[in-house]
Amino acid sequence: MDTSQATGSEEELIEKLKEQDPASYHLAVRTYSPGMLAVARFYLDPSTAEEVVQDCWVTVIDAINKFEGRSGLKTWLHRIVSNRCKNKLRSAKREVSTDFQEQLDPDLADRFNASGRWQTPPKLRFEETAESLLENGALSDCLDKHLSKLPETQRSALMLYEAHQHKSEDVCNILDVKPSNLRVLLHRARQKIFLMVEHFQETGEC
Amino acid sequence: MLMCKDLAGIASDYIDGELSTGQNLSVKFHLMMCGDCRTFIGNLRMSTKLMQAHSGSVPNEEFIREIDRRVHEALEQKKSRTTDSD
Repeated sequence: MDTSQATGSEEELIEKLKEQDPASYHLAVRTYSPGMLAVARFYLDPSTAEEVVQDCWVTVIDAINKFEGRSGLKTWLHRIVSNRCKNKLRSAKREVSTDFQEQLDPDLADRFNASGRWQTPPKLRFEETAESLLENGALSDCLDKHLSKLPETQRSALMLYEAHQHKSEDVCNILDVKPSNLRVLLHRARQKIFLMVEHFQETGEC
Repeated sequence: MLMCKDLAGIASDYIDGELSTGQNLSVKFHLMMCGDCRTFIGNLRMSTKLMQAHSGSVPNEEFIREIDRRVHEALEQKKSRTTDSD
């Protein structure tokens, strides 16, 4: 079941897309492509993922007429990308390989002693708000750099759940993962971001 | 008894409210006694907020322009096909 319905201004945008209004396509492409790319990157290598997103937009021009607003536009677009990627993998007889075994990032796991207590506890408390932390351009750049180094599966899960604010149920659907596996992907990705911010706050270096 | 390392393993589930009532109570009890884990949970929570706030990152301009170009081309083709069939 879809958890997000098309909202008011979104409905207007959908109508304009159905009318093939170029300015509305321009707006929609800018708004929704980053999330669509995050979905495609879960399944495919970077350049094939970009091709798939481009192809999807061309199919949207016809497919939008069948869109009935049972889900939000974003969820609908992400599913189109996801289906196309899955078809591509199927025809290439490939599968997404992901490690769902370990809950803890090795760099974090090393910070506990044999009895399971902190050996190297977090020293600093991040007191500022996320927005004020991000005003530091160097931190923002560092975040981008570390995001790009995350395994594709972790990054896509993190982007869809945190940055694009999808519900867990939708992310599982779009990425075709079990809820328990999504939890592992999210937790592993968050630990990486935590370690990166901690290092940055302590040393001022990325 | 829940150790710091166990708590670190389920910290995201705690933040997102995905733990069972029993597990949630164990975490809360541990946090009452452990300042290091309180700092860890606080900082992990901040890391998730950072990601949410980072959603406005600028997409690759060249990639977006290429989509714009292809969509524009497809719209034009569709328009000319409709005109031809009239």
